[in-house]
Order: sequence, then C-alpha cells, then structure tokens
Amino acid sequence: MTSESDAVVREQLAAYRRDPRMVLQILRKLQLAQNHIKATDIDIVAESLNLPRTKIHALIDFYSFLHNTPRGGYDIYFSDSITDHMLGSRESAAVLCEELGVEPGVPEKDGLATVDFTSCTGLCERGPGVLVNGIAIDRVDIERAHEMAALIRAGTPLEDWPLEWFVINDAIRRKGPLLNMTVQRGAAIERAIELGADGVIAELEAAGLRGCGGAGFPTHRKWDICRSAGAGERYVICNADEGEPGTFKDRALLNCEGCNVIEGMTVCGITIGARKGFIYLRHEYEFLRERLDRRLQRRRDSGKLGRNICGHHGIHFDIEIVMGAGSYVCGEESALIESLEGKRGIPRIRPPFPVTHGYRGCPTVVNNVETFAYAAGIAADGPGFFKQDDAKRGWKLLSISGDCRSPGIYEMPVGTTVGEALQACGAEDVQAIQVGGPGGTLLASHETERELSFDDSNTGGSFMIFDHSRDMLDVAQNFTDFFAHESCGFCTPCRVGTKLMANMAEKIAAGHGARLDIEQMQRLNKLMTQASHCGLGQSAAVPILTTYEKFPEAFRQRMDDVEYKPAFDVEAAIERSRQIVAEEAQS
Amino acid sequence: MTGRIHIDGQSIPFAQGQTVMQAAEDAGVAIPHLCYHPDYEANGSCKMCTCKIDGRQVSSCTTPATDGMVVVSNTEELNSERRALAQMLFIEGNHHCPSCEHSGNCVLQDQAYKLGMTALIFPNFTAGRETDASHPDILLNRDRCIYCELCVRASRDTDGKDLFCITGRSNNKGLAINSDTGLLKDSGLSVNDAAANVCPVGCIIKKRQAFTKPIGQRDYDKRQVHSNKISPSTLPELVKEPGEKVSVATCSLAGCFGCHMSFLDIDERIVELVEHIEFDRSPINDIKTCSAEVDIGLVEGGVCNTENIETLREFRRSCKVLIAVGACAMSGGVPALRNSIDVRELLEESYIDNVGVENPQIPTDDELPHILENVSPIHEVVKVDFFLPGCPPPADAFWQILNDIVEGRAPDLPYDLTYYD
Ligand SMILES: Cc1cc2nc3c(=O)[nH]c(=O)nc-3n(C[C@H](O)[C@H](O)[C@H](O)COP(=O)(O)O)c2cc1C
Ligand code: SF4
Ligand code: SF4
Ligand code: SF4
Ligand code: SF4
Ligand code: FES
Repeated sequence: MTSESDAVVREQLAAYRRDPRMVLQILRKLQLAQNHIKATDIDIVAESLNLPRTKIHALIDFYSFLHNTPRGGYDIYFSDSITDHMLGSRESAAVLCEELGVEPGVPEKDGLATVDFTSCTGLCERGPGVLVNGIAIDRVDIERAHEMAALIRAGTPLEDWPLEWFVINDAIRRKGPLLNMTVQRGAAIERAIELGADGVIAELEAAGLRGCGGAGFPTHRKWDICRSAGAGERYVICNADEGEPGTFKDRALLNCEGCNVIEGMTVCGITIGARKGFIYLRHEYEFLRERLDRRLQRRRDSGKLGRNICGHHGIHFDIEIVMGAGSYVCGEESALIESLEGKRGIPRIRPPFPVTHGYRGCPTVVNNVETFAYAAGIAADGPGFFKQDDAKRGWKLLSISGDCRSPGIYEMPVGTTVGEALQACGAEDVQAIQVGGPGGTLLASHETERELSFDDSNTGGSFMIFDHSRDMLDVAQNFTDFFAHESCGFCTPCRVGTKLMANMAEKIAAGHGARLDIEQMQRLNKLMTQASHCGLGQSAAVPILTTYEKFPEAFRQRMDDVEYKPAFDVEAAIERSRQIVAEEAQS
Repeated sequence: MTGRIHIDGQSIPFAQGQTVMQAAEDAGVAIPHLCYHPDYEANGSCKMCTCKIDGRQVSSCTTPATDGMVVVSNTEELNSERRALAQMLFIEGNHHCPSCEHSGNCVLQDQAYKLGMTALIFPNFTAGRETDASHPDILLNRDRCIYCELCVRASRDTDGKDLFCITGRSNNKGLAINSDTGLLKDSGLSVNDAAANVCPVGCIIKKRQAFTKPIGQRDYDKRQVHSNKISPSTLPELVKEPGEKVSVATCSLAGCFGCHMSFLDIDERIVELVEHIEFDRSPINDIKTCSAEVDIGLVEGGVCNTENIETLREFRRSCKVLIAVGACAMSGGVPALRNSIDVRELLEESYIDNVGVENPQIPTDDELPHILENVSPIHEVVKVDFFLPGCPPPADAFWQILNDIVEGRAPDLPYDLTYYD
C-alpha cells in the first residue's frame, strides 16, 4: 500500500537513480514538496539508499534549508545580509510577522506560514531579498510585505502572486568584453578542439586568467595539473554557490550569459578529458535552475553537449545541475565536493587537492562561474579577449551594493582603484568599503588609491559601500554573526572561536564591553587565523578587529574606558528567579 | 618517499607514507594531540597538533612528511595557542573535572596539564546536551564530547558497526547514535567494542567502573616534576615598606570550604608564612569583613546568587590581587552541575519536594537573594588576576603561589602541582 507521501519520496528516489550520492538532492526535493522531511520518508530514503538513518538526520541538521519539523505552507526567509538590513529587511520582516501573528522562525499555529532569516540571498543590489518556498523575490519593502501578508492570509497559491515579483533582473551597469560578448554558440568549442588541449592551456596562460572565485589560482595551471593527473575519469565542476555576502555576479552571469558558462565548462571538459560536469548551484538560485536546465537541453539537442560534441567523434561531455541546501562553507571547493557526494559540507584535508583527488577521488577542476565564462571567451577569441591595451591584467566583474546611486554589476579592468569604482557607481559621503565580502578587506574612505587586484585588495566580486549614516560596529557584528552561523563546526578554533567572537561582539554592541574583551578578541583572532582548517575560520575574526582599528569611534561610543566588565548581565540572569518568586507571591 | 625530518632541531627518520605526527610518535617525540590515534586515519579537527612546518602553521597529523622538512613544535608561541584550544574545549562543553568519572584518566585533562593550563579565561557556554544512560553498561555524557570523531572512526573502521555520527554544524553540533530509537541501548554497542573504549574524554564511559582507581594511581596522576613556567600576566605591584607584611584575605562563595581546609593543610609552614604575611578576613582568625585595602584576596567557590555577586564585588574592590581558588571559582565546579536544570525545578526540589521539608513553599521574602540562571566562575563577574586550580588545590600550591607573590614574582604553578580535581 502506498500512501500519497510515499509516492513523493519514491518518485524522487527514482528520479535520482537511487544513487546515495544524490541523497541531498532527494531530501531537498522532499523539503520543498512537503515543507519538511517526514520521519517516515527518512526511513524510506535510508533504507532505499542503504544509508544509516543518522546520516540523513546529520544532513538535515547541517543544511539550513532542510528541516525535520514542519515549516509553514509559505516558508519565507528574509536575507540577513548587511546590505539587505540597510534596505530595510528587518522592518519588512517585522511587518510580515506582525500581520501574520508569528514569531520569527516559528510556524503559525495552523501551519500557514513561517517567517525566518537566512544568510545572504544574493539579491544585494535589489534587496531586501526574500525566498518563498525556495523562490526568490526581490525588493520586499514594507509595502510589498503588506501585500504579501494579504496574499498569504487569503491562501493565494504562489503561482497566482504578482508575476513581476519573481522577475529578477540584473542591473548590468558597465560592460567589458564578457558582458559584451556576442560569440556564436559553439565557437569556443570548435576552436578549442582545433587548438587542442596544449593550445587551450597556452592561450589561458597567455591571457593570464586567474580564478575569479577569490583565491586567484592561475586557471591554466589548474587545468594542466588535472589533465596530467593519472588516468581514468575526471570531472569539471562549476562553483555556483556564490555565498559570499555582497556577491551576485555569478547569478547575473548564469541568468543572462548562462550559455557562455556552459560553453566554458565544455571547453574545460574537452581540454582535460572529462566526460561529466556539474553545476553546483546554491539553493537560493532555484529560480535559475529551470532556465539553465532548458539551456542544457537545447545544447544537447543541437549537439553541443552529450556524445560526439559538434560532430567530433569520441568527444563526449555532459552537464548536470546539482543544488546546494543552505551552507556558505559549501562554496569552499573541497566542501563543495563533499556536498556533491551527498555528505555534510566539511572541507577536506588538503593536500591532496581536488585537482588531483576531487569528486569520487578523481582529478577535478573546480572553477568559479565567471572563470568559465572568461575561459570561453579566451577559447573563442584568443588571449586578446581578456587582455587588451586598456586592461593589461584582464577583467573582473564587481558586484557593487550598499550606499550608492547605481548598485549592480560592473565589468572593470583588474587593477581598477577603489576610487574609480566608487565614482562609477555614484557613491557619495562614503565612510567605508568592504572589499571581498565579510572575510575580505575593510577600507576607510581615504583609501581610494587601493587597487582591486590579487596583489592588493582582492575580491571575488563583493564590493559593499557604507556611508556615514551607518554604524560600523553594526556592520562588523553582522559579519561576525554570519561566520558563527556558517561555521561547519569541524575544527575547534573556528567552531568555538566564531561563537566566542559573536558573543563578544554582542557584548560590546550592548554597551558591556571593556578593554580586556578587545585583547581577548585579538588573541583569538591570531589563533583562528593560524590554526583554522579552512578559509572561513581563518578570516572570521578579521572584520570586527579591522573595524576596531579603522573605526575606533564606533567602539568608543559603546564602550567606557574600563579594563574589565562582567561577562553576563546580572539582571537578565536573575530574571527567571524574579519571575518565579513573583508567581509564588501571587498564589 | 623516506628520509628525515627535523623536529625542534632533532633529526628523526620517517617511513614511506608517514605523516609528521606518525614519524614523531615512532621516534618518541611528543606532539600534543587529541583527535589523532595511531589505529585510525587522521581526522585533523582538534588542531592541538598544530606545528610550524616549513614556516607554515599546519596540523602535523595530516601533513605528509617529506625529506628535510623542518618542524617547530615545542615553542611558547605554539603552546599558548594549544592552551587556548584546550580552554575552548573546556568551556564549550561542561568540563567540571571534580565531578567527572573520567578525571585522572582523561586525555584532554592531561594535555591541558602539560600545556600549563591553569585558568579558564573564556566565558562558559554551559552546554545542555542530552545524556544517554539507556545502555546497561555504557554511559554517554554528551556535554563532555570534544568531537574528535574517534568513536565514529572506531565503530566504522574497527567494529564495522558505524554506530556514531556527527550531526549539525557550528555551535549546534551533536553526536547521534545510529539505532531505531537513537538510544545507545538499541544500538548493539558492546563494552568490548573499540568504539566503547576509544573516547579520550569522559563522554563515552563504562558504568560501574568510575573511581575504581584511587587518586594517585590513575593514568595521568604520575607526574615527572617539570615546571611549565608560564606567566599568564604580570603581577600588580605591591609596594611595601621594609618589614611591612603582605596582607591576605579569603572568602567563600558557592563552595564547600574544602579549598580553605586545604590551605590550612600547609600546616606548620603557616608559621613561616606569617612572618611575611598577615591575615585579614579569613577563617584562620575568624574576621568576617575585609579591610578596605588588602594585598591578596583568595576566593573559593563560584557565583550562584545575587549575594555572591555583592560579596565578590566588594571583595574585589578591597583586594589588589585577586586569586580564584579551586574548581568552583574557576569554572563553577560542582555547584555548576545544576546549570542544565531550570530554576523553578531547583527551587521546588529544595523548598517543596525535598525530604524533611516542613511547611513546603518557595520563599518570597524581598530580602532573600535571587539565584542566577547558571552558577558562574568568578572571572565572569570580576577581573581575576590568577587562578589556582584543583578541588581543592594542594596545600603546596597555596604555599607556592603565596611565596611567589610575597617575593614579587608572578605566580607560576608547576606541572606537578596542577590538578583540576
Ligand atoms: C569559506 C569559503 C567559501 C567559498 N565560497 C566560494 C563561492 O561561493 N564561489 C566560488 O567560486 N568560490 C568560493 N570559494 C573558493 C573556492 O574554494 C575555490 O577556490 C574556487 O571555487 C576556485 O575557482 P576559481 O579558481 O575559478 O576561483 C570559497 C572558499 C572558502 C574558503
Ligand atoms: S574553519 Fe570553520 S568552516 Fe572551516 S573547517 Fe574549520 S569549522 Fe569548518
Ligand atoms: S576529566 Fe572529565 S570533565 Fe575533566 S576534562 Fe576530562 S572529560 Fe572533561
Ligand atoms: S564521544 Fe568521545 S570519542 Fe566520540 S567524538 Fe565525542 S569525545 Fe570523541
Ligand atoms: S573547588 Fe572543590 S574543594 Fe574547593 S570549594 Fe569547590 S568543591 Fe570545595
Ligand atoms: S591531532 Fe592533529 S588535528 Fe587533532
């Protein structure tokens, strides 16, 4: 006997070929279909995939968007990123909560809706960003929150909500070679086959393309190492996890130039001898998935993906989209591969690196979305595509958000100064710029000569601007909380350290900070930077301490000049006792 | 590859495929570690084994040895980082050694001793994780788990049962049991399984075997005398006229007076001591209030109610140097066992359900102090200059620390006098 619920889980199991590596994909589909993952479904999944039940629970506990208790029929997440705050996300969420009579994170009694918060949704230039049942809606200001509440109370199905809410446009503000590209579909593939692997790698080297995901590893070397690493299967992975708060250029690339990215992945596959590629797309970009899937299908239909690509006998390459389920650390390449294999996203021990021991232990190229897009341009047009007279070091997409007239995507030459970027987007009254996301570099307004490049202020794309109306301690606390929330918890310095840092930031923000707290944070920072297992823990303590260095005023306003203050608030600590005594005195 | 690596200047050989940690263990060179175990694949999570290898700070248990590698391990810089890691693990869980069945046989405790951890400087997280006592022979006290994943590896790789699993993330990490009910009793874990024997701390412990080894004969009781020489902070200056004595006061908060008793155990040496110090408020002379200015204050016991807070704050104001004495003052100690219990339940247990209570009612008099949600160490309420761990600290430790101060040195507790229980 199969109940209705059974049917859903069995359908998903079949869709994913009962492959245990696809367990996360199955769980995510169950979550979206039924607002949570039912205990009975967990049993079925565990049994069918021959996995211990605890492993399934472990996945549900690890990924933010999976739950084993029911969420509301409308499951709503507001982006908690600082730029969304600045655009009023907290106020909109409060309106929605009040109108629906719910507390954040707790479903309404009749299970109608849950209003919750999540890390950056990647809609920074058009915030406040919101996800409803996994689908993105932008610009949820107070007015839209009221309208949303009315729709929810009326039980209006999502399909009947105003269509324009779901149209996520991309504010492309300045175009360079990539955003102007008009190459013919398949041109890069044809030329790559003509050039051969050596030729493609030589052109990437001549162009000087380096990874656009933040670390800046030379792309030609990555492809070359992978190509020469042993015999057997190898894989191409496009890192579309884009979790760094303030970054949204991958979203725009996949949205408008998706084919270019796919073309770049195909070129990579042909060059390194891989037959299979994955796009690891973050959960928040579900709205892009269908479109991408259609594009993949069109390319299969026209012979640009699949077997014997473009009619070249023996050249096979296909791409599958795999979704994340809410974890920033899964953007780290080895954690991403773990997640792709259906596990918790814990960064692996390195060495060995994915380029020799990646997906299923095979040599794997993991590149950022933008890296593949530029690689396609270079494969089609030669190194000159990337490197021209006015851009000797190539190009970079910037995601500019925060306090400026024209937030959006800017394609700028590598080495553009901060001042030039500020001018381009019309930023005035600038107090600070956070380059490269929370773990990046905080610059004060006078540091306009700093360059945006791997050698100076490095950025994977994030460029957030704060004017003088902003409280920089608030900004730093937001970043510190982000890291504490996203730490995978694997290693001691980060798991405990991010929580300690968040507690201390809160203490200071509440006006209970003292000099010893700062000293302790500085010591912790050194430990976390030196001993953490991956980039998250290594940079988690940096924002608050850089803020202290560069904007001491923000701290001084909330701190008396004393050496020590208690770790907890005594009044709060006796509240429970007071309450009980009062109750007893009444009765 | 085989060859030699250099650890702190000593040249040792390594075999094909060995990590720095394995080579060091084989050569008898100790690198602190918690999650490494020779029988299992490295995990690389505790970061206790962090060394500077060819100039970069990395985990030695996961770094393959290569010929000519230069490893720096035993430096104060690295040891102070390891000490901070131990402190983090202590405050993350509920590590109150005096009430722990595993005390004396615990690897975390031993590492912390060896690293000279004499203080817990971070505020407690007061974990309230579920204890699983369902199994007839084995107890799982999750509050002490340090997530070394040794049980996970042992159950999977040696026992072939795969019974343990790490769940969650960040500070909400957990340890789950793979059984129908999620309980240990239904898991098929047996006392002889490797997983039941591998836990380095008092998280997976065997029932009915606690405290069977007497103190002094436990795994890590035998100490070679070896001074850590760690001076965590500088001594506030006690300006004295020639011949003027150092004044000492003591006070007890939520404690058992055992620390005071231990202090008195310095016996006849007290005669020698009073040549240099004079006692202010203390049980020795039964003075109940402290002078306005005292040089050294010793505090026993944690902070459990508003009265403790007032007493402690006043005491801090009077004392130039404040020393937290004993496990209760340092971490909350035995009274902190109540921290996972709701305040109402506590009050009802004491004033209503307790045996022999006449006229059961929760007192509501305004004059009575309120109890805090958690029993806290004193450094969460006032600034503490030094810590004297132990439950109680040995008399020799009191002797040592007071002598240090009298002679103008920052107190420095040697390894053989450092105990947490
Ligand atoms: C915590 C963490 C998060 C990361 N997130 C991303 C991400 O969202 N997207 C990305 O492309 N790279 C991310 N990276 C960098 C990747 O590990 C990897 O370097 C990159 O995908 C390689 O591609 P590239 O060489 O094309 O930049 C992250 C790294 C860390 C440590
Ligand atoms: S540094 Fe943080 S995110 Fe990275 S492995 Fe350690 S705990 Fe996980
Ligand atoms: S003896 Fe027990 S309480 Fe002490 S460190 Fe070990 S496990 Fe923790
Ligand atoms: S129960 Fe023990 S062995 Fe298992 S992870 Fe926790 S501390 Fe390690
Ligand atoms: S530390 Fe031990 S001896 Fe000292 S007061 Fe606490 S329980 Fe008593
Ligand atoms: S022993 Fe190496 S990280 Fe734990």
